[in-house]
Amino acid sequence: MNVITLTELSKIYPGGKKAVDSVNITLSSGEVFGFLGPNGAGKTTTIKLLGGMLTPTQGSCTVFSLDPAKNPEKVHALCGVVTEHAQMYDALTGIQNLIFYGSIYGLTPSESKKRGLELLKQLELYDAKDQKLSAYSTGMRQRLSFARALIHQPKILFLDEPTSGLDPESAQNVHDMIRLLSKENGITVFLCTHQLRYAQEICTRYGLMEKGNLLAEGTLTQLRSKVCSGATMKIKATEIPHELSCYQTPEGILEIPIQSEEEIPKTARRIIESGGNIYHISTVLPSLEDIYFHLTTRKESLK
Amino acid sequence: MNTQMAAIIKKDMQSITCNKRMFTTLLVVPIVLTIFLPFVFILSIYFVPEEGKELLALLEMFPIPVQSGSSLKSIIWFMLNILLPVFFLIIPIMASSVMSAASFVGEKEKRTLETLLYCPLSLKQIFRAKVIASFLISMLVSAISFTSMLIVIETLSYAITGSFTFPDAKWFFILFLIAPTISLIAITLIVQMSARAQSIEDAQQGAVFLLIPVLLLLIGQFTGILFISTWLLLVIGILCALAAGLLLKKSMNHFQYETLLKN
Repeated sequence: MNVITLTELSKIYPGGKKAVDSVNITLSSGEVFGFLGPNGAGKTTTIKLLGGMLTPTQGSCTVFSLDPAKNPEKVHALCGVVTEHAQMYDALTGIQNLIFYGSIYGLTPSESKKRGLELLKQLELYDAKDQKLSAYSTGMRQRLSFARALIHQPKILFLDEPTSGLDPESAQNVHDMIRLLSKENGITVFLCTHQLRYAQEICTRYGLMEKGNLLAEGTLTQLRSKVCSGATMKIKATEIPHELSCYQTPEGILEIPIQSEEEIPKTARRIIESGGNIYHISTVLPSLEDIYFHLTTRKESLK
Repeated sequence: MNTQMAAIIKKDMQSITCNKRMFTTLLVVPIVLTIFLPFVFILSIYFVPEEGKELLALLEMFPIPVQSGSSLKSIIWFMLNILLPVFFLIIPIMASSVMSAASFVGEKEKRTLETLLYCPLSLKQIFRAKVIASFLISMLVSAISFTSMLIVIETLSYAITGSFTFPDAKWFFILFLIAPTISLIAITLIVQMSARAQSIEDAQQGAVFLLIPVLLLLIGQFTGILFISTWLLLVIGILCALAAGLLLKKSMNHFQYETLLKN
């Protein structure tokens, strides 16, 4: 069963700005979907459409076969949302905030407290549980928002830049938690971010967005074969043959694009035959960043 | 009403009492109108009786019931049943405006509204919970203000004239008809302003318009153009109830995700 379905989803704001343009995506249970693109790509608008905060101009979207525009409260009961604009109450402490949100998700105060304390422990906020939110740092607030989104054990998580403002250690903690939630609890994660490197660490599938358009969608392997097949061979050597010197970086490393593994021994042989010594050879597959830039530059050149 | 709505009501009511600035705003006007004003008025008449004579001449314009021959008693009766009822209306307007501005616009200003909108409650339920919270605070402040006003006036009345001065039927309509309905009107005006308002202060300005008819009533009464009788208050109360019903319905239609999250 598809957990999330976007069919020709479009949103044009009253001013005429097309924020999302005919996007088609389907997500299955337990997937960690990275919805990637720069600011203004339409990621937050898509989350708002899936949360029922906005109504599509064209097309449709469903969450567990529910239309968020028609049944927002039913969709909200199934999902947890973390966005930059969804803050909590400064006058309440960390645990009081979680108890309040737990109670409006239908949990009893004792259930909310128990679950809240568990989450605060997991997110390393237990020592700050009785501090008012006004005393929390940006990173602590972000982690508490994450705890709030998980208080009612949702089936889907909509995360909009969940690690912005977090130090590397806290960000890693959140990544591990996202991985664990999808693996052990089967939670589907719809993750919006512009940090492509971080997305590559935790996502199982990706959608690359630019100016409201879905440029490409699939797993990393699928994207590599669709967008830029091949790899880069990196060689550290001396006495580099003249015909290969154009691939040399300022650091003296050769970076040669290759289409198949057969090219590796051929190139190595040429260096050795010309009297050179090889100190290191490796192949690097295109990263998500490489794929994204390849897509955007290809689109620009087509214009 | 379900437990989720009750949680929002409780949180909204607690947040106003925890916020020192808001809580002081809520207290100042009732203290001035229901404790300070009657206290100073009655004591100044008592200690400067010449001023009281001029006031007695003014009182002849009003149908004051025969009191036990004491001019001071007549003045206290005038204070309680003619002067204070109209002043008192400022209290529910102010209390409901302060509370609803904090509840609706304050949440938007502090970016907590979006979080609340992502909860499994319909917009109607969130709207109702917030209106109930503002209404309850307004009624609570009005009830406490009335009680404290009565304690001050009765204490002074007994100390000065040796007998109590009781409120007349006007107060019944003020407390149980006009104060609740005028609170609802103030709340709906704030809700309608909440989509456009960027701050709590912006939204509160909307409720200032409600004070204009109250001031006109006061001026009308003092210039002798209008006498606020029990029947007039009943008519005003019924009109306010109709207006509150219509405005509540209109405000609910205005309460939409896209309108609320604009800006």
